[in-house]
Amino acid sequence: MPAIIETHNLTKRYGALAAVNELSLQVDEGAIYGFVGPNGAGKTTTMRMLTTLLQPTSGQAFVSGCSITRDPRGVRRAIGYMPDFFGVYDDMKVWEYLDFFAACYEIPEATRAGLINDLLELVDLSHRRDDMVDTLSRGMKQRLCLARTLAHDPRVLILDEPASGLDPRARIEIRELLLELSRMGKTIFFSTHILADVAEICTQVGIIEAGRLVAQGSLADMQRRLRPHRRLHITLLGHLPEAHAALVARPGVMEVRQTVVNGEPRPDEAAEAVGQVGADGPASAKTLEVDFTGDDAAVSALLRELVGRGLPVLRFTESVHDLEDVFMHATQGIVS
Amino acid sequence: MTTEAIGETPAQPAGPARGLRGLLTRNPVVLKELRGRMRGPRAFIVLTAYLLLMSAFVTLLYAIYVASTNSVYNGASSQVVGKFVFGAVVGIELLLVCFIAPAFTAAAISGERERQTYDLLRTTLLTASALVFGKLASALSYILLLLIAAFPLQSLAFLLGGVSPQEVIIATLLLVATAYLFGTSGVFFSSLMRRTLGSTVLTYAFALLATLGLPLVLIALLPLTSMLFNNAPPGPALETILIYGVGFLIASNPIATAVVTEVLLVTEQTAFYFPLPISNGVTLPLVSPWAPFLLFCLVAGTLMTIASILAVRRAET
Ligand SMILES: Nc1ncnc2c1ncn2[C@@H]1O[C@H](COP(=O)(O)OP(=O)(O)OP(=O)(O)O)[C@@H](O)[C@H]1O
Ligand SMILES: [Mg+2]
Repeated sequence: MPAIIETHNLTKRYGALAAVNELSLQVDEGAIYGFVGPNGAGKTTTMRMLTTLLQPTSGQAFVSGCSITRDPRGVRRAIGYMPDFFGVYDDMKVWEYLDFFAACYEIPEATRAGLINDLLELVDLSHRRDDMVDTLSRGMKQRLCLARTLAHDPRVLILDEPASGLDPRARIEIRELLLELSRMGKTIFFSTHILADVAEICTQVGIIEAGRLVAQGSLADMQRRLRPHRRLHITLLGHLPEAHAALVARPGVMEVRQTVVNGEPRPDEAAEAVGQVGADGPASAKTLEVDFTGDDAAVSALLRELVGRGLPVLRFTESVHDLEDVFMHATQGIVS
Repeated sequence: MTTEAIGETPAQPAGPARGLRGLLTRNPVVLKELRGRMRGPRAFIVLTAYLLLMSAFVTLLYAIYVASTNSVYNGASSQVVGKFVFGAVVGIELLLVCFIAPAFTAAAISGERERQTYDLLRTTLLTASALVFGKLASALSYILLLLIAAFPLQSLAFLLGGVSPQEVIIATLLLVATAYLFGTSGVFFSSLMRRTLGSTVLTYAFALLATLGLPLVLIALLPLTSMLFNNAPPGPALETILIYGVGFLIASNPIATAVVTEVLLVTEQTAFYFPLPISNGVTLPLVSPWAPFLLFCLVAGTLMTIASILAVRRAET
């Protein structure tokens, strides 16, 4: 697939700090590309360079075939940009706001009225057409800004944290809107902290940390590449030390940990576990978490081994890595 | 369905607004600014208050005139009063322009930055020159409206007599040129500064320097020149330099220009050229300061406009 956004060793330095460092990424035409990274990783800086607002220190980037340094006008024609703040005029009505930006995109006056109605309908704001912009709620302003980015029918949308600060319903509405826009054939490049969004709608993911792209690819790709092992959850009614010893001795077992519930160790349970290790406690179930490399046959053999030793296995499951794992694994916390 | 409707919107723009005329007439910024400025009762109230104050002032002057005709002097001709009323109205308008033009423009670009709409505008197809011209044109057109609204009051002077059409034309040119100079300075400083506060301070500092700077310079120079003249009469070369130097200072100051132009009109009966004899018998050719002042405003204002456009066009580094 052809790349509609590509950057080649794109770099932005502020003094000694490399906000974006030799970044090379490709966004496929028609993709929904999730640009993920911790605070201060360089997402906004990258986007400001792609939108021709910021001059790169070195490197090059192309959007829709236009160089961001040599043909900024071509880039501007191709993109709709929504920054991580609203940028609304307080003395304007909703329709005037869209009319103004449509005029800035050189859309002839005769077609603007119809266009504004279409845009308002798309983002579900038709009923607020004549209200002042500053009376809108946060979610509505966000949708209005999204409508603004669509005024000139751009091929690429560059959205900086489109879902930040929204309640769950508004977030889902934005997500639906992005899917709708993607169906209309637009390429969407957006940054986010909300990993659930990425997992739900992205076709491509790039993870950035400290200005460097640490991983890029499809979601499934990334999970395979970053976490090559599988994770098993084995719940036993007792005999934890024996099970622990048996597991550690098996080939392919990398690490065995105890009792993590809902991804967070519960303090009370942890204390209990310490007191009961070694003793045959009451029949309360304990879970071991096993990082394991091996194929399905090896997993099956592992289970057989446990059962064969007479250990009281209650549950035996394998977790699918969620994006949070991938994210935590990929970003080592270089940005404090 | 909306998706198709959006897809159908014309991708090809209507052709960029070319040339200066296009920059002014097909400029979305002008429309937006004027719409904002004229919205609600504010514009109406400001205009009304302004006209009421001006009328009250002119009425007061007229009352003084009527009273003076019955006084012991009884010599105040209506011509003198006509000139006086005209001069007073123009003077007030000049002060007003000096205060209002910076106020209307000092936030032009920095205000967009503070409202975080600057980045949005810069990613549209709106050119830097369209943004700068739009801001300037909308501010100047409002000031022009204020000047035109006061025109009937000015022409009250015609009833009293003593004011020539020449004076009216020169006064109007001076007012417009001053508005242009201070308007462009506001846009210029607001394109340089990140914050409106800084831009406002610099714009008013510039306006103060341009209006009050000359008297200060003269006061500072006075002891110096008197010292020169006391010790030895200045040579013709020095005298020439001094006269032209003071001339240039006057022609860079709207108030001094207005006063000196009027004085020359009354004493020398000229609005253009006049010869000035100096000590060694040579006459220096001089022009009435309004013409060089217009030139100064045009050049300085245009340079500041170009600098603003370059500042807006440059991508952040
Ligand atoms: N104008 C600037 N001057 C100096 N440093 C800057 C400037 N802009 C950004 N930075 C630095 O560059 C780094 C990247 O910032 P950036 O805003 O791109 O991060 P981000 O990934 O968008 O973070 P967030 O998730 O918080 O929005 C940060 O360390 C920031 O302090
Ligand atoms: Mg950011």
